[in-house]
Amino acid sequence: MIIATEVTMTSRRTAWVGVVLSFVIAMAVTAAAHHSFAVFDHTRTLTIRGTVTKFQWTNPHGFLEVDVPQPDGTRKHFSIELTSINMMQRVGWRSNMIKAGDKVTAVVAPLLSGEPVGLGLEVTMADGTTKALPVPNAASFKRTTETQ
Amino acid sequence: MKARNLIWLLVLVAPIVALSEQWVAWAQSKPAAAAPDITGSWERHGFGPGARGGGARDATIPPPAPQPQLKPQYAKEWQDRVMAVRAADAKGEPLATNYTDCLPDGMPTMMGAMFPMEILQSRGQVTIIEEAFTQVRRILMDKPQKSFEDVEPGFYGHSVGKWEGDTLVVDTIGIKESVRFQNMPHSPQMRIKERLKLVSPTVLWNEITIDDPVVLEKPHTYTVAYRRMPDYTLLEYICEDNREYADDKGRQKIRVN
Repeated sequence: MIIATEVTMTSRRTAWVGVVLSFVIAMAVTAAAHHSFAVFDHTRTLTIRGTVTKFQWTNPHGFLEVDVPQPDGTRKHFSIELTSINMMQRVGWRSNMIKAGDKVTAVVAPLLSGEPVGLGLEVTMADGTTKALPVPNAASFKRTTETQ
Repeated sequence: MKARNLIWLLVLVAPIVALSEQWVAWAQSKPAAAAPDITGSWERHGFGPGARGGGARDATIPPPAPQPQLKPQYAKEWQDRVMAVRAADAKGEPLATNYTDCLPDGMPTMMGAMFPMEILQSRGQVTIIEEAFTQVRRILMDKPQKSFEDVEPGFYGHSVGKWEGDTLVVDTIGIKESVRFQNMPHSPQMRIKERLKLVSPTVLWNEITIDDPVVLEKPHTYTVAYRRMPDYTLLEYICEDNREYADDKGRQKIRVN
């Protein structure tokens, strides 16, 4: 009986250690990000070339609204989610850097759902300068060469 | 003549006495002369990728937080939630959070300083402003803490503080049960103690202890560090156009314009 009890106790303890260990890993992941970017595809990027319809300077995120000309002559609208404008300002972004009518090129991580929205990683502005967005863990988004 | 002199004396002295009492009250409510100057802007120090990487360890970076020890029934609830968050992220369908609803962190999460933070020392009060979501908490100095029953639950709670030598000791109660730190459940009896101390002229440590006799096996203590931002003025933050929303399954979605 004593042996049986000890075995039960040991296996319980082992199970508990397993639970705690897996949980530690989960906690580490949780602590690494304040905001989930899991809705965006981390395996590919799209390059968006088009004309700005609006540069929206708001929190919790800024947005860059772009009309992208299509081969058939129509235009497809694409929304580019930016980071918090506070984070953007801290790395030199200003609200007057882009205006409606500007031609821009943006590299985005598209929504996994396929809807025409992407997380902006960098924007090349009308004057040719390229500026990155301060996306946390930006390196976790794999860059590919697909265009929209 | 004597009576008239006495009246004149009273007329002259009474306002001085009254003023003196005000002066004494004012002087008593001033920050103690010895209180360290922690007023100014601060940002999280020693956090994120590479903070600990390479070279000798920076002594101003606090050690990693230990695992909180929850009582079994709450540990299960917490673990289930954390696992659900992790699984949802892996599926690309993250669960909605307080941010989805434009809600602030509250205590003690706001002291993690996601964005820069401002500390203001004034007579009888230390005020802490977190730039993200413009969170503001007021620490009433040298006041007794209220009882749990006398504090209405909120995001920041009721905080009292005092200087113990070079350490600002703060006691906070009255945090809403929906306001959670790392998804951890807590009871109305949660108490948060903070010990803020300069470990160098430019680095401030905040040793935070969460005590909850209902949920925790033992108090959970971790330390957050902040470094001075001498030339930084906090920016405004209004959650103005949040295109994120929670769908009927509690998942975070983005409104497509």
